[in-house]
Amino acid sequence: MWTFNSIINKIFDILFLPFQSMNPWIGMIFISLLTGFLMLLVFRYTSNQEGIKVTKNKIKAHLLEMRLFPDNMRVSLKAQGNILLANIKYISHSVKPLLFMIIPVILVLIQVNFWFGYSSLKPGEPVVLKVKLENDYNPLEVDLNIAPSSGISIETPPLRIEEENEINWRISPLKKGVYNLEIYIDGQKVSKQVSVAQTSLSKISPKKVKDSFFDVLFFPLEAPIKKSSPVKSIEISYPDKGLPLFGINFHWLIAFFGLSIILGFAFKGVFGVEI
Amino acid sequence: MSNINRRDFLKIGVTAGSFLALSGSSDMVNRVFGKTATPQKIIVLGFDGMDPKLVKAWMDEGKLPAFRKLQSQGTFTPLRTSTPPQSPVAWSNFTTGMNAGGHGIYDFIHRDPKNYIPIFSATESSQSGKTLALGNYKFPLSGGKVTNLRKGKAFWQILEEHDIPATIFKIPSNYPPVPTKQRTISGMNTPDMLGSYGIFNYYTTDPSKIDQDIGGGRIHEVYVIGNRVESKLSGPINTFKKDDPETSIDFKVFVDPINPVAKITIQDQEFMLKEGEWSSWKKLHFNLIPTQSVSGICKFYLKQIRPEFKLYISPINIDPGDPALPISTPKNYAQELEEKFGSFYTQGLPGDFKALNNEILDDREFLDQDDMVLEERLKMFDYELARFDSGVLFYYLSSTDQRQHMFWRYIDKDNPFYDTSLATEYKDTIQNIYIEADKMLDKALKKADKNTIIMVVSDHGFSPFHRAFNANTWLLENGYHSLINKRRQGESNLFLNTDWSRSKAYAYGLNGLYINENGRESEGIVATGAEKENLIREIAKKLENYIDPKTGKRAIYRAYIAKDIYSGLCVDQAPDIILGFNRGYRISWSSPLGRIPKEIVEDNPAKWSGDHCVAPDIVPGIFFMNRKINTQFPALYDMAPTILKIFGIDTPQNMTGRPII
Repeated sequence: MWTFNSIINKIFDILFLPFQSMNPWIGMIFISLLTGFLMLLVFRYTSNQEGIKVTKNKIKAHLLEMRLFPDNMRVSLKAQGNILLANIKYISHSVKPLLFMIIPVILVLIQVNFWFGYSSLKPGEPVVLKVKLENDYNPLEVDLNIAPSSGISIETPPLRIEEENEINWRISPLKKGVYNLEIYIDGQKVSKQVSVAQTSLSKISPKKVKDSFFDVLFFPLEAPIKKSSPVKSIEISYPDKGLPLFGINFHWLIAFFGLSIILGFAFKGVFGVEI
Repeated sequence: MSNINRRDFLKIGVTAGSFLALSGSSDMVNRVFGKTATPQKIIVLGFDGMDPKLVKAWMDEGKLPAFRKLQSQGTFTPLRTSTPPQSPVAWSNFTTGMNAGGHGIYDFIHRDPKNYIPIFSATESSQSGKTLALGNYKFPLSGGKVTNLRKGKAFWQILEEHDIPATIFKIPSNYPPVPTKQRTISGMNTPDMLGSYGIFNYYTTDPSKIDQDIGGGRIHEVYVIGNRVESKLSGPINTFKKDDPETSIDFKVFVDPINPVAKITIQDQEFMLKEGEWSSWKKLHFNLIPTQSVSGICKFYLKQIRPEFKLYISPINIDPGDPALPISTPKNYAQELEEKFGSFYTQGLPGDFKALNNEILDDREFLDQDDMVLEERLKMFDYELARFDSGVLFYYLSSTDQRQHMFWRYIDKDNPFYDTSLATEYKDTIQNIYIEADKMLDKALKKADKNTIIMVVSDHGFSPFHRAFNANTWLLENGYHSLINKRRQGESNLFLNTDWSRSKAYAYGLNGLYINENGRESEGIVATGAEKENLIREIAKKLENYIDPKTGKRAIYRAYIAKDIYSGLCVDQAPDIILGFNRGYRISWSSPLGRIPKEIVEDNPAKWSGDHCVAPDIVPGIFFMNRKINTQFPALYDMAPTILKIFGIDTPQNMTGRPII
């Protein structure tokens, strides 16, 4: 899974490389456009284009029927029933392309989340580093150590929360860079990437997880923690990021879907796709 | 008379305040005024409470070089303060060019003669008139209103009429900010989110050693169970719900079983503190109804984890990034500062002297907190000074006042509670804040060109506060006040034990004394005219002759008769007598809200050991200017006419003051 993630990560690194110092909206428009194109292509080659066209024409015809015979209850009701049936058919035509699209779109969403969902830390802005242990380990009993880093200061002694099976530290970035914090639990080392004062568009890994399929699928940016490790996950509470426009901070998901749909519709003629 | 206690009194303000949070009733304009470049420029630094004797002494010792330099360029003189010398009154004199008879602010606290209930002097809040009830909810059909009660035009409003820009930073008695296109942000009198002058919360496993009824704070008993503490933080009352319950937010504190460290989780935030550490500002959202919430900011201080758990949470300030109440003009000025500097103290009196006075915070902790206030103010000063290029910049500093109130005991060996060992550590606290003010002045001097006039003003000086005078007890013992039940003397405040049918006078606020006048007070018994006038003079004379049996000194230096000293349209609202206390004396802690203890004068045991609510002649302020002036005795109310004259504007007829250049 990690090999697959590495390839996907690399693709997105290359895709976003030209946009890293630009306004994040430009990167967002680019990825939305690309996703829109991808969806159009998938839709074109996996859907029954002719069937969609016929179904849409039938819906239009029944709508016209309703407008022509507004005073005839029987005709109107029949037209409405036919519209409903045609809609069901139209939706059924979309199921197949949807099934083809769902996996690539999820992969795109996961990546986009880590590029647009979090801000990197600022020097002097402390955050909580959370190390979650496996159930077999008690945070009060394990041997703990965290190695100092040139760019990250460890500001507190460990806070051990038995009921959460968790160990917390407060860390504070000192200077710009991407650092690896090394944590030792019962002598076993685990590391966690920390991003400080990165460019306006940079990928952030808030959580490093154990090597299991779904965990690694949803947190793909860092190599997973070994299965034998006492550590279940390591998390840093990075601040959320929005996409500011006219004084409103848009969540990346709204911007992404909005732009993908708008751009998809705008280019459907170019791709000759019937939606 | 309605049966109201202090909490109800605060709730009145809170209720209206909460409505305002949602009504969007502010009619402030939404653009910054002042594009006209003026040949003359004025920078006014307002250092609250800076005392002329201390300034002179430390200038002579070479500790205030910028002040010395400014003096050499023009003028340094004591400045006649207001009567009484309280900050809201004094800065209103400064702002309007009038005495209290003109602007109508006589004290922090006024009273409603209809029911003898104390009211805030500077601000009036009113609720929405009608509401629509739906189940447990009620919806206002109109907006509430908060009104600045100060009368008269502020000098920056007059400047605006002449197209002269001004930035007015945190001047007291400007809440809500008066309508203007100038850039202003409110200072003293700005409430916290509970509608009070600042209520902190304190969570401890050992509340037994703390007075549960401390003013300005709430004490909560908590338990550490499984290395976890759970509690609630109360916010503004929810006027969308029946009976106006308080909003609250749950929070948890996880503590390490050995290490002195804890994690606090509240709403979607989590942060760690070591013992003895302050958090940064935390933004909280208090939900009113599913679609409506109000935002406030506060700081957490983890005082101690073991053996007893102690957590202090500051008063919840109005969030300058999303102000629930009007705190600036234009509306987005506060937001502009928040975007530039992050959250900052918006509460009128930001230093939590109540927490220090009640020993929730110690001296060091209070200073740490006030240092955070100072740090914010200094950053914003640099910002405003750097972009100042036209008109007037007024910049206010509160720490000079608050540190003198709380640390006077360390420079005053006559204080009954003077502590030699602590004095060694804290004796320079006041001097240090004067030195900080000197550094601010130095920056202003460096910024000034030949067309820039620099003025430094304080609203009053300072005096020791050794002995506390119970004005209502004096009235009682001299036959001017009567109780319903003599055995219950001193048990209640707000005059709940007063027999108004036999009371001729009463004292409210820090310096005010009122005659129980027939036709004005709801249960007044003294006839208007000669009877009242004779009574006023009789009481004033007796007060001035009162000798403190412990010290052999007069407690009252002068008892001022209102009609003799005030002029203007608001004279009829004045207290009948203004108590001008002698040096070393002040009103007691009980008297301002109508409690009547047994002793007329008692020692002041509080850490609040310096004060200025005495006779104005005892505590003049300071006045510095890089120009010569034309009078020997300038007054606060001369400042507004002087500023106007510098820009060629004639003094308005209703101003008491006159230009001094």
